[in-house]
Amino acid sequence: MTIEEQIKDILARITRVDKAIITRESTFKEIKADSLDVVQALVAVEETFGIEIPDEDAQKFQNFGDFVSYVESRVPQTEKV
Amino acid sequence: MAENKSIVPNGRIRVAVDAMGGDYAPEEIVKGAVLAAQKDDVEVFLVGTTNILEQELAKCKVTNGSSIHIVGASDVVKENESPVDVIRGKPNCSVAIAAKMVKSGEADALFSAGSSGAAAISAIQFIGMVDGVYRPALVGSLGSFAPNTVMVDLGANVDCKPHQFLTFAVAGAVYAKKFLNIPDPKIALLSTGSEESKGNDAVREAYSLLKSSGLNFVGNIEGSDILNGKANVIVCDGFVGNVLLKFYESIGGHAQVWTERKLKKYPPLRALVRLLFKRLFPSTEISSETEKAGGGILWGVDGVVKIAHGASRAPQIANAIESAKEAVKAGVVESLKLELAKFDQGGKL
Repeated sequence: MTIEEQIKDILARITRVDKAIITRESTFKEIKADSLDVVQALVAVEETFGIEIPDEDAQKFQNFGDFVSYVESRVPQTEKV
Repeated sequence: MAENKSIVPNGRIRVAVDAMGGDYAPEEIVKGAVLAAQKDDVEVFLVGTTNILEQELAKCKVTNGSSIHIVGASDVVKENESPVDVIRGKPNCSVAIAAKMVKSGEADALFSAGSSGAAAISAIQFIGMVDGVYRPALVGSLGSFAPNTVMVDLGANVDCKPHQFLTFAVAGAVYAKKFLNIPDPKIALLSTGSEESKGNDAVREAYSLLKSSGLNFVGNIEGSDILNGKANVIVCDGFVGNVLLKFYESIGGHAQVWTERKLKKYPPLRALVRLLFKRLFPSTEISSETEKAGGGILWGVDGVVKIAHGASRAPQIANAIESAKEAVKAGVVESLKLELAKFDQGGKL
């Protein structure tokens, strides 16, 4: 499973939306994720990939694609497969 | 950490108390905890800044141990802080530690008179929700005018997704069965008309979900039906519920003032009215049970979480701890799980 798919699963589970509607262009607002959903997703992603996502970085995410790209850039290459 | 377990080895219910949360914390919280711990079947864990709590306990002539224990927490949630920041910014604050104790099985219930948002978020993140429930809800009985009616949500969720209304309905039904002894509660959705097409998008979608849920759903009701007993469980979002709650609670006082003004020229009648309102006219507080109990339970959390008004003093704190204990004994979480299992729709409740 790719990083994108894993993050999509996490976000869909937390927000209770159908993951089919989440695209790289989707904003958190579009998938009806409120601030608690977003923070829970960040914590879950941090735990899943063993990385830290500082708030100042998270605040720059404009859409799901930004979130995925950020995590991909932080996860060691071997885990991306 | 150990799995959550609700059976206490020594027969005492263990309540983790956020000792730093509340307008009069920690002093009134500690006093209330001391009062509550006078009963044999409860053990209180005061969570907060150790040296401060030791001093407060000393003032009450109580030492750490036996039925009251201090659990250190390195942080506290301040008044103006965003509750969401608790998760990442203050995972070791008093309310978060108390929540973690419930999750680990070191406590059976959490009580906080601090920020409701911080308590709810700590519960969601560190205890977790019952399967199928998205967010916790506040349930309350209308008491007085409609003694067989409960309303959900009373303010925990300002904006709701349609599936939340379904879990509110189940929580309300469990409350009506457990606390009002209504075997098959009638459930209604609060809307702007009885027709299925009435209401905003979330309400209309919720109608479809409730209709096919298998619950005893009787359709939409309007505001004018709230007190007439058409429904035992009235489901609405927390924005509407909280506005209604506060309006409802204000009715008695305003009615008394209005009536007394009208009878200004008839002092004997005024005195009689005052007496009637005091002795005979029922309280319009949405739930005298809730008031006596010192707050409400956050339904949907996978553990008993009790929250109370920030302005609570020691007697209300003691009542709230007592009530948390009773909720554990009554098995409210297990009952909710059982009811939800009946309506499981592939984890999408």
